[in-house]
Amino acid sequence: MKKMNRRAFLKSSGAAAAMFAATPGITYAQVVGGGAPFNDYKALVCVFMFGGCDTFNMVVPRSNAEYNVYAASRQNMAVDQADLLPITPLTSDGVDYGLHPTMGGVQGLFTQGAASFVTNIGPLVEPTTKDQYFNSSVLLPPQLFSHNDQQDQWMSLRGINSSATGWAGRMADLIRSNVANQQMATNASLFGTNQFQSADETIAYIMGPTGPLQFSGFSTDPTSILNDQRLAFSAIVDADYDSVYERGFAAVQRRAIDAADTVSTAIENAPTLSTVFPASQLGTQLQTVANLIAVRDELQMERQIFFVATGGFDTHDDQVETLPGLLENISDSMTAFYNATVELGVADSVTSFTQSDFGRTLTSNGDGTDHAWASNQLVVGGAVNGQDFYGDYPLLQIGGDDDVGGGRIIPTTSADQYAATIAKWFGIDDVDLGVVAPNIDNFAVRDLGFMI
Amino acid sequence: MTMYTTRRISILASLALAIAGCGGGGDGGGGNNPPPPPPPPVPISQAEAFQFLNQATFGATEAEAEAVIDMGFEAWIDDQLTKPASLQLPYVQSLPDPAFMGLLQPDRVDVWFRNSLYGEDQLRQRVAFALSEIMVVSQLSSLNNQPFALADYYDMLARNAFGNYRDLIEDVTLHPAMGVYLSMLSNEKPDPVLNIRPDENYARELMQLFSIGLVEMNIDGTVVVDGLGVPVPTYDQAVIEGFAHVYTGWTYAISNDFRNPRPIPENQIQPMNLWPEFHDDEAKLLLGGEMIPAGQGGEADLAQALDNVFDHPNVGPFMAIRLIQRLTTSNPSPQYIQRVATVFNNNGSGVRGDMGAVIKAILMDPEARPANPSATDGKLKEPLLRFTQLWKAYNATSESGSYRNLGAVYILFGQGPLQSPSVFNFFSPFYAPPGEIRDAGLVAPEFGIATEYLNTQFTNYIFFQALALNAENPDLEPDDVYIDFSEELELAANVDVLIDRVDQKLLAGTMSETLRNEIAGMLALIPETDAALRAAEVIYFVATSPEFAYQR
Repeated sequence: MKKMNRRAFLKSSGAAAAMFAATPGITYAQVVGGGAPFNDYKALVCVFMFGGCDTFNMVVPRSNAEYNVYAASRQNMAVDQADLLPITPLTSDGVDYGLHPTMGGVQGLFTQGAASFVTNIGPLVEPTTKDQYFNSSVLLPPQLFSHNDQQDQWMSLRGINSSATGWAGRMADLIRSNVANQQMATNASLFGTNQFQSADETIAYIMGPTGPLQFSGFSTDPTSILNDQRLAFSAIVDADYDSVYERGFAAVQRRAIDAADTVSTAIENAPTLSTVFPASQLGTQLQTVANLIAVRDELQMERQIFFVATGGFDTHDDQVETLPGLLENISDSMTAFYNATVELGVADSVTSFTQSDFGRTLTSNGDGTDHAWASNQLVVGGAVNGQDFYGDYPLLQIGGDDDVGGGRIIPTTSADQYAATIAKWFGIDDVDLGVVAPNIDNFAVRDLGFMI
Repeated sequence: MTMYTTRRISILASLALAIAGCGGGGDGGGGNNPPPPPPPPVPISQAEAFQFLNQATFGATEAEAEAVIDMGFEAWIDDQLTKPASLQLPYVQSLPDPAFMGLLQPDRVDVWFRNSLYGEDQLRQRVAFALSEIMVVSQLSSLNNQPFALADYYDMLARNAFGNYRDLIEDVTLHPAMGVYLSMLSNEKPDPVLNIRPDENYARELMQLFSIGLVEMNIDGTVVVDGLGVPVPTYDQAVIEGFAHVYTGWTYAISNDFRNPRPIPENQIQPMNLWPEFHDDEAKLLLGGEMIPAGQGGEADLAQALDNVFDHPNVGPFMAIRLIQRLTTSNPSPQYIQRVATVFNNNGSGVRGDMGAVIKAILMDPEARPANPSATDGKLKEPLLRFTQLWKAYNATSESGSYRNLGAVYILFGQGPLQSPSVFNFFSPFYAPPGEIRDAGLVAPEFGIATEYLNTQFTNYIFFQALALNAENPDLEPDDVYIDFSEELELAANVDVLIDRVDQKLLAGTMSETLRNEIAGMLALIPETDAALRAAEVIYFVATSPEFAYQR
């Protein structure tokens, strides 16, 4: 009830927000009385692994009994037992585990308490058993095993409903009165448009992998003709148009003009990091995020959510050849990013976490794997209750209690619980967690405990 | 003013038609009046010709508009339907072998530009491009090493553009580029001992993305829901597995090894070949509960499975929506979808899947060029199509004749020929940008790549193109693709005349007052003697404007 009223209020007062945005010295929060300003800085970084990462080869049971079940299921997809990098969760389920041999960086983070895994997680509407799955006695996320639908589930948590917004977008809307002075949108993407950051009220800002672009041929020097050029371009963008497509295009151009100078200038003045990032696309994106975090004070940012991503995880073919490089890139890039936050002194304020379409079949199709359901996800940062597993790790048995066929494992932890745990740390009130994670009330545990 | 007059004429003409229709009803009112004469053909205005050509080609030009006005829309389409396909493969094959096959990809893009800009078969090429965004394969995969496969795949789409959809999906299915991209190539029957089951990749995406989609649709594209209001899925995992078993046993045409065949040039351009010993010959479940009987062999299985997909009632509305969105408007009415789907189902001669008839129905529909356009008619132009329109209007070429420099055009604009980041294309048909479009429940797929970043990159490239990559620049490199605005140079002394000329070439004389005034203000700051800069500035402002980005 309370949350509905507050949201309705925020929505209805959009005009007031626009009016006061232009009034120096008066914040939107002061006028409408919304949330109090935050007195700290926090950033979230979503690392999306497009295509559906085979995370049961990222985190693998190492004890003989469980490994043998794993190896019998996975056959030629199995990682050699001797190659696994040992990790020891603080909370033991009696099984030893290891990481894929390319993930030495994450092994180090895990061991020093800066990383944890949320295991056997996936989109769920409500807790689901194998019997319930087959007799249709529970609601299921529609179009399981389909890429775009399950990406959408992870990003929007829409359950059986449709949703125009994502859970990062809804978080940004919830805190928009608390962060009215930010010079950049709360949500920023370095990997294009995405459902995760889509919102009703706040529009995500989309930059390139190395940051925003400035417009060629624009100047703010009043003596330059390029200043006239900038003003003429601006006037054209701000004109009235009859078509929604013209207006929509002009709106993007307007946001681009507004942000380009401010953000580019801030980044240019960022200190040079000594942390070395991988030269990969993901490494580049995360390096830019680190640079943006470094200039958070110049941009008056209090809360930020970044979206970065990398693809290639849809390993129907040649998985044995391609997956190691993909996992190494995740490990090295996220490790470098964590090290950069330490260098910047913000490790406790920045949390990065993975998402992916789905896990993959334990069985193979000869040289690769197909679309499945549950997966394991990685959370990194100084505010993470590190060196642990959150959620059950299933027995990876074909035809077992968790397998709906072909080694498609039913999740035992929901993506809603993951989001709610992260949102709570980010500063979302408990009463608003249902806005972020609409199915959260179907699960007994709202906070999985992996955040401090 | 001309356009306004023409529109008045066309409104009067449609009124005349309506009256004629009444008279035919037998009432008439005054029995002694003779029947009205048939209305004269409605003249096509320049703006209408441009609108049509931006839907049917890689960008309107004055010369082509003249042809459309002269011939009429329908005759122009009929003529285009007969044009043979401009091809890519012969050119790519004619080049010497490079050290690394991927080095031929810019040459493939080069010939794509030449065919798309200046091919006689403009409609066929435009439809092939649309199909390449529906039945996606991409260079951004292991196909980077297979330029012949990609060139031949595109040629296959162009050949099938006006053929039958059933032939199209068979050619797509057996094309080695698709075999590689969605891993049907070397897909083999189950091996229960090794926990190996058939690859489900192609089975899933053929249905989801190329033919029927995820949910049952009515003929007008509206979604069928169950008693609880939940959309009815078109298939479940069991059906996916059935089709996955169908698509077993196929690999490159020439190989001694089923599992590890080599993509030699011949294999990149020949349909895949069946190896019966790797094909699953058990019974298989298809759509609608249809079963493939055991033991009929891989080719018969494939034929039955593709017939099964082809006959699904979703294909008509599915392809109607996809192609309408690529060609004419983002948000077709259910009636528009139904009219096109009806033609897909039966072209009037009892043939299902006649793509030429479908394309004609899309372009000739009253909703393609409404007499009184609303704020939601039309679409945002794809960035690559904005770009080709500019290039066509200004005869873009290079001294070498090559467009290789734009080989990585997808990095510039977020799209390029067969350069999608995934099988889901550059943007989703369901994408709705935040703001009034989404609030109104509408979609605008092209906004999926109209980001702050990519729009700025486009804007900056146009700036560079207009101010530097033009024929007046003495320092061009042989491969620099430049535009030719020599005609504008002659007019540059008179600001209004100059702006009018560019307006005619790019906007068919529809330029808004704001755009005109802002450009005029800029030109007033540029000396009359600097004709090239004046011309470049006008082109820059028009080609980056919201009104140029909008396809009416």
